[in-house]
Amino acid sequence: MATQSMTPMEDTMRMKITEALKPTALEIFNDSHLHSHHKAMQGVTSKETHFRVTITSEAFASKMQPARHRMVYALLKDEMAQEGGIHALQLKTRTPAEEERQKQKDALAIEK
Amino acid sequence: MATVKEIADEAAFASTISSLPSSTLAVLYFHAPWAAPCKQMSTVLAALASTYSADAPVVFLSLNAEELPEVSEQYDVTAVPFIVLQKDGRGLETVSGSDAAKVRAAVEKYAGPGSGNASKAALPPAQAVTRPPQPAAANGTNGALDGVRNLAAYTPTAEGPKTAPEYSSGETKEALFKRIGELVKAAPVMLFMKGTPSAPQCGFSRQTVGILREKGIRYGFFNILADDDVRQGLKEFADWPTFPQLWVGGELVGGLDIVREEFENDEDFLKEYSVSGQRNTGGPAAPSTQAQPT
Repeated sequence: MATQSMTPMEDTMRMKITEALKPTALEIFNDSHLHSHHKAMQGVTSKETHFRVTITSEAFASKMQPARHRMVYALLKDEMAQEGGIHALQLKTRTPAEEERQKQKDALAIEK
Repeated sequence: MATVKEIADEAAFASTISSLPSSTLAVLYFHAPWAAPCKQMSTVLAALASTYSADAPVVFLSLNAEELPEVSEQYDVTAVPFIVLQKDGRGLETVSGSDAAKVRAAVEKYAGPGSGNASKAALPPAQAVTRPPQPAAANGTNGALDGVRNLAAYTPTAEGPKTAPEYSSGETKEALFKRIGELVKAAPVMLFMKGTPSAPQCGFSRQTVGILREKGIRYGFFNILADDDVRQGLKEFADWPTFPQLWVGGELVGGLDIVREEFENDEDFLKEYSVSGQRNTGGPAAPSTQAQPT
C-alpha cells in the first residue's frame, strides 16, 4: 500500500498525544538537524532525536507545569528510553484558556 | 568557585591550617572511603562548596580519617562522616552523620550563605573562556578527577570544578536514592546539568545557566556527566527523564522550558534566592561585573 513514512517517530508522537490528550492544538517541530553535529549525537543515525512540541489541551487544566510535562513524558516513555529514540523533548503545555490569554497578551504587545 | 580540597597527610593538614587567615572558616570533613554515607556527604559538600566563590572566606578540606589518624584523634573523630567547623584554629561546631541540611546550616552560620561578601563573586563564573583556571581546581584535586569515568561524550575542560564522583558500583539503589535525596537539598536552588556553569556541555543546560545568571540567582550545581549513577538514578528518583533539572527547596521545578516560563509569568520568581534581591542595581547585571566578552 502506502510508502513508508519518513517520520515514524513524529507519527507515533502525534498519534499518542492526540489519542490521550485530545488536544485542540498540537505542533511538533523536529529540531534534530540543529543538534546532529553535537558530540552526544555522534554515531546516531536517526533524524528524529530532538523535538519541540506545543500542546493545547483541556487535560492540562488544574495541573502545574511539571505534572503536565510528566503526562507527556509518560506517553512517550518507550520512545525516550529506546536507543536512538527521542533524546531531547521541549514542551509547551497549555490549556485552551491559557492559550487564549497568551494570544491576547501578544496582541497587546504588538500594539504597543 | 570553591571546591573541596583533599588533604593527603598530617604535614599537609598542618601547613594548610596554619596558612589560613584567621577570619576564614575551615570546614573539615572526615571520611572513610568504605563508609556508604560518606559517599553522599562527599557529593553534598562538593555541591555546597560550589555555591561559594573561590575567594570567599571559607575552605573545604577533606581528610581520610584512616590516613590521618593523629588528626582524627586530635578532633576526637569516632564516627564518619564527621564535619568540624573552625576559625582561627578554634573549633566552632561539629556535625556528625550525613544530614546535608544540617551541614549547610552550620556552614552558613559562620561563613554566610554561599556568596561570601562580594555579591558578584557569588555566582558560578560567567562563561568567559579566557578566565585563568581557579587555584582550587588546579591543585590536582583528588577524588574529583580520579573518579571521572564513563564519559564517552564528555570532554573535561581546564577550568571549572567537577563535582566529586566517587567510585561506581557497589552502591545499592536504596543508598543511591538516599544520596540523591540529600543532593537535591544541598543548596536551596540546585541545578543538575550537563557540564558546569563555566563549561556547559549542552545547549539547554547553557541556556538555563544563562537565565539564572541574568536573574542573579544563587545556586549550587551538579554535573551529571561526571556521575553516571546520579544521572540515571535521578531520572527515576525525580520521575523526570531529561536534564537540566532545577530543584528548589528539595522539590523539582522542571527543565529549561518550565524555568523560562516561570520567569516570564513572574518576574520575582526565585527572587528570594537572588544575589542582591534587586536586579538591575549592582550585582551581576551591573556593567562593572559583566563577564568580558570573548
